[in-house]
Parts: sequence; C-alpha cells; structure tokens
Amino acid sequence: MQHIVVDPVTRIEGHLRVELTVDEASGRVTDALSSGTAWRGLELIMQGRDPRDAWAYIQRICGVCTTAHALAGLRAVEDALNIKIPKNANFIRNIMAASLTVQDHIVHFYHLQALDWVSPMAALSADPAATARVAASLAETYKVPSASVGTAYSSTPKDFPAATPDYFRTVQKKLRTIVESGQLGIFSAQWWEHPDYSLLPPEVHLMAVCHYLEMLDKQRELVTPHVIFGGKNPHPHYVMGGMPCSISLRDGNSPINAARLAEVEKAIDLGRCLVAKYHLPDALAMASAYVKAGYLDGAGLSGERVMAFGSFPEEPFLNTKEGGFFNNLLIRTNGVVEKFSRGVQIADVHNVSAEDLSDPEYFGESVGHAWYEYQGAEVLHPWDGQTKPHFTGPKDGTDTDWRALNEQGKYSWVKTPKWKGKLCEVGPLARYIVVYTKARQQLLTDMTWAEKMMVDQVDYVSTVLGKRPEEWMPSMVGRTVTRALDAQLNAEIARYFFDSLVANIRIGDTQVANMERWDPATWPKKARGVGLYEAPRGALSHWVTIDGGKIETYQCIVPTTWNACPRDDKAGRGAYEAAMMQTRVKNPRQPLEILKVIRSFDPCMACATHMYNPQGEELRIVTTDPFRGSTVEEADSNGRK
Amino acid sequence: MKERETLWEACLNKGMNRRTFLKSCVALTSLMGLSTDMVSKVVEAAETKPLPVVLWLSGHECTGCSESFVRTGAPLPSDVLLTNISLEYSHLLSAGSGDDLEAHLEKMMKQHRGKYILAVEGAVATGSNGIYCMSGGKPFIKTLREAAAGAAAVIAYGSCAAYGGIQAAQPNPTSSAGIGKYISAKAVVNVPGCPPIPEVMTGVVMHLAMFGVLPPLDSDNRPKQFFGNRVHDTCYRRPFFDAGMFADRYDDAGAKAGWCLYRLGCRGPETYSSCGNMRWHQGLSYPIQSGAACIGCASPKFWDESPFSERMPKYGPLGDIDMIGAGMAAASVAGVAAHGALSLLQKQKRDKEEAAEARRGVTNGKEGDK
Repeated sequence: MQHIVVDPVTRIEGHLRVELTVDEASGRVTDALSSGTAWRGLELIMQGRDPRDAWAYIQRICGVCTTAHALAGLRAVEDALNIKIPKNANFIRNIMAASLTVQDHIVHFYHLQALDWVSPMAALSADPAATARVAASLAETYKVPSASVGTAYSSTPKDFPAATPDYFRTVQKKLRTIVESGQLGIFSAQWWEHPDYSLLPPEVHLMAVCHYLEMLDKQRELVTPHVIFGGKNPHPHYVMGGMPCSISLRDGNSPINAARLAEVEKAIDLGRCLVAKYHLPDALAMASAYVKAGYLDGAGLSGERVMAFGSFPEEPFLNTKEGGFFNNLLIRTNGVVEKFSRGVQIADVHNVSAEDLSDPEYFGESVGHAWYEYQGAEVLHPWDGQTKPHFTGPKDGTDTDWRALNEQGKYSWVKTPKWKGKLCEVGPLARYIVVYTKARQQLLTDMTWAEKMMVDQVDYVSTVLGKRPEEWMPSMVGRTVTRALDAQLNAEIARYFFDSLVANIRIGDTQVANMERWDPATWPKKARGVGLYEAPRGALSHWVTIDGGKIETYQCIVPTTWNACPRDDKAGRGAYEAAMMQTRVKNPRQPLEILKVIRSFDPCMACATHMYNPQGEELRIVTTDPFRGSTVEEADSNGRK
Repeated sequence: MKERETLWEACLNKGMNRRTFLKSCVALTSLMGLSTDMVSKVVEAAETKPLPVVLWLSGHECTGCSESFVRTGAPLPSDVLLTNISLEYSHLLSAGSGDDLEAHLEKMMKQHRGKYILAVEGAVATGSNGIYCMSGGKPFIKTLREAAAGAAAVIAYGSCAAYGGIQAAQPNPTSSAGIGKYISAKAVVNVPGCPPIPEVMTGVVMHLAMFGVLPPLDSDNRPKQFFGNRVHDTCYRRPFFDAGMFADRYDDAGAKAGWCLYRLGCRGPETYSSCGNMRWHQGLSYPIQSGAACIGCASPKFWDESPFSERMPKYGPLGDIDMIGAGMAAASVAGVAAHGALSLLQKQKRDKEEAAEARRGVTNGKEGDK
C-alpha cells in the first residue's frame, strides 16, 4: 500500500489537496480523501452589509464562474424582499448566465482539462498533413443535433477551425522551439511520459494543442455580453431589482441601443460556432478513444444520486420559498435521480419542490469531518446554521507542514451538504441525467425545445459511443461529454433569450430595473430568502436572512461543496472521494488518472469553503502550534478581533 | 534540458561566426534607436537573455485575476504565454501538479534567483500561523516569503494582493492583508482592481518584455501609465457631471440618457484606474458606460466603504459636495467649482508624489534605483 498526496491540484479554481492509498499491485485505490485547504470567511463578511450590495461581495467568491454567485445572491435578496424584476432584466440575466456557461465550459475543457488527455510533447511527432485530414474528418464525423432556435442576424458561421497542413506545421514549429529551449513555461512538470497519453494518435495531440491556443485567444470574446450589460468581466455589475444597463432607442448616450445589442449577438453567434466546430468534435473524439480503450470509470455519485434545482426562468418570478421559481422554467432540471446506473426506466425520480427548501430534513450541512464545530445538532439547515472554525491539524506532520491528513477526524474546510440525509453529485452531468430520466419516464408534459434538445443530444452520443446512456453517462468521460453538450445547449439558450429581449423591446418595453423596493423603508423588519441557480458546475443555492435593513446571516451551498465534501459517517463518501475510489492508478508516482477524474468535475474550491456565523456569536480560533502550544484568539461580539 | 537559446546561441547553431553576431547586434542597436556606445549592452543582452521567468502564486483569492489576465486582447494570451514570458508556475494554467510542480517551483527559484518575476494573486492570510490558506501542505505565507526573497520584482496583481481585498473586509476573519508588508523584495508593483483591467495586467509584463525594466511607478507603487488618473478624470460621462445632469435612480430618464451616476454612489471621483480611458475588452465598455456606478474596486479599503449606493463624499476628501448639480444653472456652476477643487487636490497630490519621487531618485521604475 502506498500513500499518495497531490497538493496542489492545479488547473482548477482555488486550493485542493487529495490523498490516496493505492495498492501498487492492482492499482486499486483503497482510500481517498479530498480536502479544501483554504477558508476566507466571506459569509461572515456579509453580515451587517446592505442587502443591495450583496451581489458585489458574494460575486467575489469566485472569478472563474464569475457572475454565478452574483446571480444567486440577487435571487436570494429579491426573494427575501419580494421584488419581481422586469422582463428585460430576466432576459438579460439569462443571456449573461448562458454566456458564462459557454465560456466557462470551453475554458475548462481546453485550458483546465485538455492537458490530461493531450500533450504538446506528443504533438511534436505528428504529421501536419495528416493532422489536417484528422481535423477535417472530425468536423464531418461529429455533428451533434442542435435546436437552432431564434433569429440569426449573421449570415454564415464566422469561425471555422483551420485545417491546413501549413497551419499545423507552423504551430508545431513554435512548440518545438519551446520544448527545445527548455523553458517549458505552462507545460512544465507534467507527467508527459504517462501511458494514457499514448491512447490518442500524435495528430490528435497536435490538433488539440492548436485548439488550446486558439481558444485561449478567443474565449474572451464569449463574455462580451457581460461587458456590454455589466461593464466588465470578470465580475460584471448588477443592481438589485434588475439590471443597471438602461435601454433606450431614443437617447444619444444610452448603455443599450441597437449597436450594443449587435455586439451581444455577435458574441453569442461566435459561442455557437466554437462549441459546434471545436469543443464538441474534440470532446467526442477523445471520449470515443477512451471508451474504445475501456475507460468508463470514475462515476462518482452520478450513477447513484444526482441533484439539480431547475434552469432558466422564462419569465420573472416571485417567491421562491412558495415555488415561484419552479413555475416557468425553460428546463425542468429540478429533481433528484437515484440509481440511474441501474437503467433509465427504473431509476427513482424525486421532485425538489418549494416545501423542501425550508425543511431541515431535506437540506442541511454537517461538519463531522470539516474543520468546524456545531453545538447541539449534527445537521443544520442553512437558514439556521452555525459554525465555529475548529482546525485540528493533520494526522502526520505539523499544522504548518502537513504530511497526511486525518481521515478519521476533520480534514477539510469544505462542509458536507445533504439532501434527506444523503450525499448527491451535481453539475452538467446531473442536469442531463435528471432531464433525460424525467423525459424517458414520461414525467415531462409539453417538453420545451431545450428539454427536447437535451434528449436528442444524449441519444446522439449514445449512438456515437455505442453505449446506453446509463452505461456512458455515469463516468469521467460522461461528465466531460455532457459538459460539452451543456455548452452547446447554453449557446442556443443565449440566442433564445436574446431573441426574447429584442422582441420585448420591439413592443416598446425598455424597463430593466424595478426600483419600487429600493428604499429600505419599504422592506419588512425581518425577511429571509433563497436564490437557486444552476451554475456551470451545478446546483447553487444562496440563503439570506435580513433584519432591520441589514444582512443578518448569509449562507451558500455551492456545487463544489456538494461534490468535494469530506465523507459523512452516516451518509458515506462525497462525489470526489467516490470517483477516486473507482479509478485505477497505473503508476502511483504519477496518478494522472486521479487528476483526470477530479478535473472532470471542474473543481471550484474558493466556492466550496465557507463559514457562517450568526450575528453576535463569538468567533473562537484555536491554534495548536507545536512550537507555541495552544493559543485561543477570542473575537468580540461583532466577530472583530 | 538547456535554456531557451539566446541570439548568440542561435547564431552558433546556424553556423554563423562571432563577427556576424556582433554585426547583428550593431544593427539591432540602431533599430532600437540607441546610440552606438550602447552596442556592448545590446551584445550582453543578446548573449544572455532568455524569456523572463514568471512565477505566479495564489493566496486567498477567487482566481478572477488569472481569468482577467487571460482576457487580454492585446497582446493576446497565447502571445504573452509562449513568446513574451515563461510562466513556470501557475495554479490555473500549469500542466503539472503536486510534489513535482512544487519541486519545479523550487528549482526555478534557485536557478533564476534574483532574476525571476513573482506575480502574486490574492491576499496573504496571516491569522493562526497562516493555516487558513494552505497549499502544498504549507502555509501560503511561507511560500510567498521564500519566493519574494529571490525575486527581481514582485507584481501584486489585484486588490487582494495589493491591499487585502474582500477577505480583509471587516471583520477580517482570517487576518488577511496585502502582501507588501509581509515580504522583503527589491521592488513591488501594485496593480489593484477587482480584477484589474486585462490589458493593464499584461501591460506590466509587456513593459518589462519590451523595455527590460519595470514601468515607472507612483508613490503607492502603481504603474503611472495605468493609474495616473481617476476614473472621473477620463470618464466619458464627465460632461454631464460638469453640467449637473445626473441619474437619480437606476433606470430613470437620466439613466436612460446616459447621464452622470454620481448620485447613485459612483466612486469614479476617488478611484485611480484606467476604466475611463482604456475601458474593458479593448474600449468596449466599463461599468459606468453600462449604466452601473463605479464601486471603487481599485481603492485600498473599498469593501468597507459601503453601502455602495451612498454617495462618495462620506468617504472622499472633499466633505459635503452634495450641492453638485442641484438641478439649476447655479448648481452646474457648483459642479464645475467642485470639479475644479477635485482637480486641484489631485494635482497637489501628484505634485507631492513627483517631489517625493525626485527625492528618492526614481526615474525609470523601482529597479533603476537599486
């Protein structure tokens, strides 16, 4: 048995450490732990702030899925204060959410994940002419069905992959210069000699590395809608009650007019091209090679239990607590599917409904293996949560020089969230499993275009891979492919809501903000709200309580909290740990397979690690330094030291 | 593996002799517009200059600064990463992971000691011996200090690295702070913003790649070319401020007409940043152009200067300037007067900075005076 540590896990957001015990003879992982190793305390910083500013603070949880937390935060505060945003604001926020998902997925696939599959070293031995033929044939081979909704203002696709020998030869020459210089830069220190890199021919490596570089330069254009509507990216601006970007077709200096909308449309159209011509063919080519080689491991919890909250409200809504959010969803991803791997027809489907949201039996977090303390309860609902940080150090090593964390005790700054006492996996794969299962079990009446598109996409990939959905979906490959499908879906959704926005402006409605409840005098003394949002990485919920015009408590349960959580003594292992346990490691010195499966979740650690402290409660930080002994830092009643 | 080939090595590899090499250097010198007595310097640079090594550390952060860095429109990200710098360590982009990447970091620090650029994203968590921000099994503060000690210069990217940022907002549960006070480094460049504008971020390393020195800095170590003006000074809505034409709430007639957002809490008048002139996405927009008040994200304590919808004078230097643009012609005079006062203040501040700089003899970046 060999104990392996990978810390830092790179090409993710934030600080993640994984530890494994591997049986060298069989390559079997006998134990695995996932630890979030940093904690910033943002929810504590939220307390006492003006709820109108909540989006700005909480958006800073994450700059990779930037805007995801702003949108969930706005929904939580608007739910608490009973604010219905105007139609245009709903359309614009949906366009921004969909654009984020397209860009985030493309960046994840090429810049965070691809170097687990392809290598610039292997690309050096590719034949440029043969590479051009491969690139051309992939574009012909993989044509995933798309709904193509809405009006296109562009005449032809504006971006095709270059597939000429000269192009590949030129980039290959540049790569060769870099490799021969010895200054490998971003390509340094990877296990390029790992046998998994030989699963794909050199030509695919060269093509993929070229696309890596192309997408690096193009991804920025995909967030243009954020820059037009919110002024910048990362971290665009919003306003409680709607959007700040007023629309006027009659004023000379309005933030939004026909010319600005044309910029948005151009970016949306580029997103559709890049997904269809690059992301999908590349993802499917790699997936096919891996499936052919027998790699269908790393299911995590996806075959067992997945959850999603519901995607893209078509119209503005009120009162999520009473179910308002669920009433007019473009995609009814809201639900929990259990035992999908046994078969789509016999999987169990549970609804996630309004009543569940307030029920501590349904949603709660535990801290048995997280560096926090609860008093008088094992599981707490996010509206009633309490946390005291309680760092207990590693099992082996010192507090400031870890060798091995303590899997028996506490080992992560990530809490363990639960649905009805059970752990779930969330993400694009979860969304596809929920919708596909609901559709196949005839649980979706009057399917929307987007729901139909998702079913068609899954059926297409099943044909390409020659596997049933319950075979290929719950796996590392399935997680990667459904993210590409989700990018395609969101590119169409962006165009759909762009069309809705234009149509609504056409009939004379230019309102973007509802300012009726801007003044705190119009707010109830006490209020609480929840914001649900299907972020690029999965089900996101923000929970706020407001008292006397100020934020009293703020809590987030984030996709990576669901997936990266430490184990629970009753509920078992979270998705990361389960997925690592299901993965074989060829060479314990170079556990590339483990990083591949972890990265297939698209970890976002700064999102996952949060702490919450009811106002006035003392914050007690216990330090157990072996050199200084134990010290206790007491905070005053405001939490200030 | 050997270092990236220098011009001298390239000549050798191509079978050219020393004489040819020297002739190239003379040509290069005149190309660069330098006088002939600089030839020896150019020869030296051409003989020994591989790409600048950049090591990028992540502390308490959201990775928004790395993301902003790769949103750069000119230079494009691939040009920065493959041709202008050699980014040998980055949690977002590095291919490698774990111990092997940590060993690579150490190797780079040793091999390029005194020559590498350290880019830092995120605040340093100083509470409880740094255990709130661990990476590689060690506190970030430890790695930061070691890496900073051997760096030619440190770039603090973003408001977190420069000033502490969001995690340092009250009650600052992890005792987070900007990195400046916790490192010993020859030169620190502060590039604040949440995040900074992409081209400002890459502009700093491009300055380094093109001119071989750090950009000229102000008294807070910010590059003057990007932080020399307040957003207000170059704001395209400035004429409306001067004329006393304001939006009074979001989405009112003034907001639709694109008038000044000062009354919605805009922090443009106190925030030093290039949002007004360079803007985001190569001139496409910035928050004010999209109708949103500036929140002052490049200012040191902006997170604790909320509510953001409250007007700036509460925090700004001028006291009560609520009279600006009260709606009448007289008010617009007040607006112009207040503008004059702000500009005067800014000029005084700048004069003071220039004088302080002259005393320290800084002329061309912090590196020059060491």
